[in-house]
Amino acid sequence: LRIGIKYCGGCNPEYDRVALVRHIKEKLKGSAASFSYDTREADLVVAVQGCGTACADLSGLDPQKIRILTDPEQAQKLVQEISRLVDEDNPEGERPEAQGA
Amino acid sequence: MTMMTAQQYEESLRHLNLEVYMFGKRVENVVDDPVIRPSMKAVAKTYELAHRPEYEDIMTATSHITGRRINRFTHIHQSTEDLVKKSKMGRLLGRETGCCFQRCVGMDALNALSIVTFNMDKKYGTEYYPRFLEYLQYVQENDLTCDGAMTDPKGDRGLPPHKQPDPDQYVHVVEERADGIVVRGAKAHQTGAVNSHEIIVMPTLSMREEDMDYAISFALPSDAEGILYIMGRQSCDTRKMEGDTIDTGNLLFGGHEALVILDDVFVPWDRVFMYKEYDFTGELVERFAAYHRQSYACKVGVGDVLIGAAQTAAEYNGIERASHIKDKIVEMNHLNETLYCGCIACAAEGKREPSGTYNVNTLLANVHKHNVTRFPYEISRLAQDIAGGLMVTMPSAQDLRSPETGKWMKKYFKANPDVPTEHRMRILRLIENITLGTAAVGYLTESMHGAGSPQAQRIMISRRVNLQEKQRAAKKLCGIE
Repeated sequence: LRIGIKYCGGCNPEYDRVALVRHIKEKLKGSAASFSYDTREADLVVAVQGCGTACADLSGLDPQKIRILTDPEQAQKLVQEISRLVDEDNPEGERPEAQGA
Repeated sequence: MTMMTAQQYEESLRHLNLEVYMFGKRVENVVDDPVIRPSMKAVAKTYELAHRPEYEDIMTATSHITGRRINRFTHIHQSTEDLVKKSKMGRLLGRETGCCFQRCVGMDALNALSIVTFNMDKKYGTEYYPRFLEYLQYVQENDLTCDGAMTDPKGDRGLPPHKQPDPDQYVHVVEERADGIVVRGAKAHQTGAVNSHEIIVMPTLSMREEDMDYAISFALPSDAEGILYIMGRQSCDTRKMEGDTIDTGNLLFGGHEALVILDDVFVPWDRVFMYKEYDFTGELVERFAAYHRQSYACKVGVGDVLIGAAQTAAEYNGIERASHIKDKIVEMNHLNETLYCGCIACAAEGKREPSGTYNVNTLLANVHKHNVTRFPYEISRLAQDIAGGLMVTMPSAQDLRSPETGKWMKKYFKANPDVPTEHRMRILRLIENITLGTAAVGYLTESMHGAGSPQAQRIMISRRVNLQEKQRAAKKLCGIE
């Protein structure tokens, strides 16, 4: 599963956005999820918004593929969804190393 | 190349042959000079962040002329979203550097010229706008830092340019040739001038027909023959030459200003954007000023740093739980976020000009900048109140390092037992740096006079506000009409 990371610009973030992405990657370590900052070919785009204003430019992206984070507490639900999608993608249970950005 | 890295930017400056003077001597190596270098690093931050995924949404934009990804500092605003992102970029960089990062002024000059050159062509059938677009593409493709040079020395303030006893008090044309013009004069207070690749010169005030020779705008490479720079002094500037970093307060970044002298400099026609169209000088000044007044969004970011420093100093002093300290921190935040409201509002209420460029709401931009002439002073006062007198009576870093005196400083300047004395010194020096050291040039006096002194904003507010509408509303409600 190719996951694109799209950050907002970080003008005045209410939490550490980079640390949150690191945390999500850690939780998905060993799964078949790969991460990239290239959102064009992604199966799922995680928009990491530093606050509720959520101003990251998501134009040109398929709204169905976008998952917006505005709070670290939303991360767990996202990790669960990605794990489920990975399982659906890999019914045989393959677990290649997570890679990418 | 479309976007330079910080390293490429630094390297590009090494190729410039600038004539820079400081402390009465020619500066042979501008990039590595310890007094100037922190200011170069602040500009370099504008390049670095554009390459980081967590900032690129603010720091970059899509060029409306090439469709390529460019650094936002070379962008012409195409929407109110662009204007809002410009304000947010100012806060971000102010917070990341704790000082003036110098690159906004060139962006504001480019945007103002994109409007005015178009309007001049429309009235006079000139070809300034296509000429400007060609220059803009050069700036965007090479990701250049531009100095927007507006403020002339002005001589006798009671006299217009053509009546000055010394005609060079305002930049003017002294010779017209087939291939260009020769200009003479100076621009004062030029922020980031020696960190710039280009100098974009604009007239400093609205002019009449008699001042036609002064109604000129053009761009020059910063190392063009005949340009020289005399660096401005800053309070505590020589601390940067002492080696130990504690006493500089901000270890990494700083700003600078310079007097830029144009001693008979040749400008080819393809770099001239206004030539004697005196009736457009007022518009160019007004457009640039409005954009630049919005740019004082950066002070919100520096305010973030100062509030963070004040809270930390309170904790290091062991007073963070006192109710009056908490209240002062709230007040600082209230003032700082009020500033933020202004720079966001003038952007969100911006509008499209005939050239397609989006301009800020002029009234709100002036209100914002007028707040900036006041609030940083109050935020600074509160920060100094919280910091305590030690901020200005503390011995030097060398005394802390000395075996004879260091032990006494560690003993008697200890407050919170969990905090090393050196940390307490560092945070107090940072507050000193922003409120009365080198960074106070940017955070305080530049907040007062940069982009126009307070009276300039009051004049614009009086011009832009709709007083009759307010009177109509009042009279209606009390039965006069």
